[in-house]
Amino acid sequence: MYKRLLNIHQVRNGLIHTRLPSTKCKEKERFAPVIWAMGRARPLGTSSIFFSENKESSTSLSEDNAKRPEENEANAEVNNDGQKNTKINEGNNISNAMLTSQLETEPVVKPEDSKKLDKTKTGKESLLELLGAMKVDVTTIRKVRPPKIPRISERPDPKPMESVQSMFQHATAEVSQQRETLNPTLVAAASAAASTLPNSRQAESELLQQLRKHEAIPDTQRRADGQNIGDIIADMKVGKKQNARSNARPGSQIRFDDDGQGYTRDRGITGELDAVRTRKSPFTSKRLNIFNAGAEQDSLSVLGPTLWDINLANQIVQATNQTPRNGFEEMIQWTKEGKLWQYPINNEAGLEDEASVPFHEHVFLDKHLDGSFPRQGPVRHFMELVITGLAKNHHLTVQQKQEHIAWFRDYFQQKDNVLKEAEA
Amino acid sequence: MVFDHALGVMASSCSRALRHHACKSSRILRIHLQNSWPNRSFALNSAADQQPAVSSLEEIVIPKKKTWSKEAVLQALASTVNRDPTASDYRFQDDPYLAPKTALEFKLFSLSQEAGRNAAKYFINKYPNYFQKDYAHPHIPCLMPETLEAQIEEASEAALAERVQLRKVKAAVDLYDQLLQAGTTVSLDVTNELLELICFYGDCDPAQENVPEQRTEETEDVQEEAQAKKARGAKPSDALRTPWKENNNAERIFALLSEPNTRSYSALIRGMVKYGASSRAFSTYTDLLNSRLTADVHIFTALIAAAPDVQEKYNEKWDLIVDLLKQMAEQKVKPDLLTFNAVLKALRRCGSVGKSQAFPVMREMKALNIDPCLASYGHVLSIFYKAGAPVQGQKDILQEVMYEVSGKSFTPQDPDDAQFFITAMRICLDTKDIEQAYRVHELLGVGDNWRLVGDYVKQNIYYARFFSLLCLMESVDVMMKWYRDLVPSVYYPSSNVMTDLLRALDTDNRLELIPQIWKDIKTLGHGNRQKLVEDLLALMARETHTPQDSLADCALDIRSLYSTGDRGKALMSWTAGSLSDVISVLLAAHRRAHAWETLKLFKTHNRVPSVHLLNRFLTCVKDSGDVDEAVELVKMSAGFCLPDTHTLIQRIQQEFELSPQHRSILSDLEIQSFSSD
Repeated sequence: MYKRLLNIHQVRNGLIHTRLPSTKCKEKERFAPVIWAMGRARPLGTSSIFFSENKESSTSLSEDNAKRPEENEANAEVNNDGQKNTKINEGNNISNAMLTSQLETEPVVKPEDSKKLDKTKTGKESLLELLGAMKVDVTTIRKVRPPKIPRISERPDPKPMESVQSMFQHATAEVSQQRETLNPTLVAAASAAASTLPNSRQAESELLQQLRKHEAIPDTQRRADGQNIGDIIADMKVGKKQNARSNARPGSQIRFDDDGQGYTRDRGITGELDAVRTRKSPFTSKRLNIFNAGAEQDSLSVLGPTLWDINLANQIVQATNQTPRNGFEEMIQWTKEGKLWQYPINNEAGLEDEASVPFHEHVFLDKHLDGSFPRQGPVRHFMELVITGLAKNHHLTVQQKQEHIAWFRDYFQQKDNVLKEAEA
Repeated sequence: MVFDHALGVMASSCSRALRHHACKSSRILRIHLQNSWPNRSFALNSAADQQPAVSSLEEIVIPKKKTWSKEAVLQALASTVNRDPTASDYRFQDDPYLAPKTALEFKLFSLSQEAGRNAAKYFINKYPNYFQKDYAHPHIPCLMPETLEAQIEEASEAALAERVQLRKVKAAVDLYDQLLQAGTTVSLDVTNELLELICFYGDCDPAQENVPEQRTEETEDVQEEAQAKKARGAKPSDALRTPWKENNNAERIFALLSEPNTRSYSALIRGMVKYGASSRAFSTYTDLLNSRLTADVHIFTALIAAAPDVQEKYNEKWDLIVDLLKQMAEQKVKPDLLTFNAVLKALRRCGSVGKSQAFPVMREMKALNIDPCLASYGHVLSIFYKAGAPVQGQKDILQEVMYEVSGKSFTPQDPDDAQFFITAMRICLDTKDIEQAYRVHELLGVGDNWRLVGDYVKQNIYYARFFSLLCLMESVDVMMKWYRDLVPSVYYPSSNVMTDLLRALDTDNRLELIPQIWKDIKTLGHGNRQKLVEDLLALMARETHTPQDSLADCALDIRSLYSTGDRGKALMSWTAGSLSDVISVLLAAHRRAHAWETLKLFKTHNRVPSVHLLNRFLTCVKDSGDVDEAVELVKMSAGFCLPDTHTLIQRIQQEFELSPQHRSILSDLEIQSFSSD
């Protein structure tokens, strides 16, 4: 019993670590909550499959079924054969890494389990005690799902989670040995994963870098924690109580069968909730990778709106609600149609043609009289009165004023003989 | 001096203290003031502050002149106006008489307003010579009649361009043929425009503008909503259109072109796709490639939209789309929003492939800096949640989508934008997810998003779904709050939704609201929906706690509605159940006279009361001790030949003090009932 639990813990830890860095690279701001969520899951006996499944469902629904049997098998073996567990865990780890790499563009693998066994043996007695306490949690029957689904935007409050975090840190710190170099199997896995990517060399080096970076983290964390696991578990419980959402947690749990077949999975709605919370948003998943973002189209000659464009605009207008909601919106509509005087109010609205005409063109109209009218006499006198009137008229444009003068010019030219007879 | 004294008296001790301090330095005064009189210290403060202010002369930055758009002022003003839940729509505020009270009236009034505008426009355009006087200054072009007749008579390229401009398909084609026969060459641009025109209208003259088009769209919506949509393939509106004919004018003119360019191909392919000739569109595309031209983005968008029609299997459909996208990338054609929307729309018809590929497509959009519009998200939702299909394990997709869109203001960019809100609300209703429904509704309030809920029909569907969900999931108080907010200013509930509302009242045991709701039901014009009214009566009959008087008034009101029909024809007919419900309500309110009247209606409408009801009635009669009425009741029961008449008779004989005359009547009746048995 104890061994089995232990193994499962190891498998799980491995998986947690497998997942961690990838999440980290994807969304830095979500990093912390994700760890905590998983840390919390641990005391409740959430299975490794549960996590891998979440991962799959988040990224590719279709691959879900394909992956599961394989996982089951691996875990069953772990449970049956304590001697081989290290190796299998490793294999499991790698297979997960491969999976991750297939699903994501930036997979990172974290080695964990290879040397864990020695360490955990030292805390055997205390762990046994703990397991007694844990059993209660493990066998808790699933609680009723709360009716409201927590939003993704909800973040767990960091403060009560601190204890959980420390527990998690301890869990990772269980490995005592320092590892300066990466496990060769992992390097191989990373390079295999990288080869699936377009830019394989760079990807590989990035992967390995990430691995090493993550390697360093547990070392620092290790020092911080005490040796007594009991404290940690106690902390863990406190953290759990303070968390409002923990009720939704025990969705899938390990059930031990007497025949030693390991556990059965239970995929509940809470599992889906976890999937929502712990996975990254599907909107940040991989892309099609068909187009180059930087590619500039050689701009075709734009001929103005074609019939299709006009029709598209019409369709959009018809599909949407364009009715005004209040008087101002109606005025906006009228302004767009050109029915309303435009704001800000401008006296010269609609007189754009005249804007370029200087004032003296309007006022000094004498030059139009020169040449075609007599220099003196009653006609000249009359025309001077006319241009005085025109100069003061602000309703007419310069063009219209000139036309007005031109009309008189024609008129007097027609009546030329009459004028001559009258000797004007 | 007197004044001074008076002021001194009025002033508080505090101010006296101030005066004392004033002889000290102003700095101390300031501190004192700030401590004791923080609110009123500004007058003195400003004097004290002047010194430092002078020493550091602030540099005055003159802001640059800003040119405001002509709507800016109005937009700012419009943003200050909130919706008034007690008022009807702005369109109807001119005339209170024409404020719509029912959904039907709303539709009628808003359509008639639009119809009036169209009629005026028609006459102005039909008789332009009567509308030449231009009163407006500056000139308002949209008020002047449009020229709808071709002005240029002789056969020339300009005349052709004019006919294309006026969208006269037949005339333009004829003129083009004339020009060719006369040997004049038409420039490629004008020919392309002609091709576009023909392809756009599918080689038919466009039907009359506006009105018929709107009608077809509406029927389309209704059909979609009734989910009586044909399984796959052409939309109903497409079926009404004439399909693409082989060798029609467009193809003929296209064949005459010596060197068709991309635009010519674009027109042809888009026309073919629009009129359902998908495989021809693809073969035309092959021609285009063979003539060593590159396609434009419109061609690809059209082809992607047509791709699901060409292939049978989901995988093949998707492969074809990917192939097209790859060709786009090869030809360095930059996809736009509509291209990706076409991809997503096509994915809706790709089954499970759609589910796996939808998010990569969205991701690709983001990588190309194309912001998805509501239509894109709507397509994603439709991919994951098929209408009528069971929803399992996909709850989170809506959540994810809402997480992406919430708080954003969208501008209409795609005709499918208007589908988003009703789709999202449908999913909320299917999954009974009130939380997301609130988020969807919240999104509707952001910016100009309210425009995107669509036209009147869609808006009604949206609110019906939202409100049904509220009825199902929320407490009565919250639900009523929404009810007061939405009804009737933006939403006129249908009788089904009112039934949901009644059911919610029933489950929460808040039947005291019924008289209020009944008033609304009448105003909304559902007072003659028999099923709704019967539900209401049954609820009232079951209610025993609330003040019965209001319920009884309500029941009498309903009773009067049954008798008065529309134009002499009763719209509802009494059933035994509804009659006995009315009677039990009246009896509970101790209105025996009204109940007795109602009881008589059983006879006139040939309905048979239950024994249970008569027993109840008898109990009430017994309370008042009216023997005559009790005997009448038994007579009535005997008249209906009820099998349990004799038990009634026994009850009367035991419980009432009977006169000999009554006894003889009863014994007669008893014999009758036994003999009938």
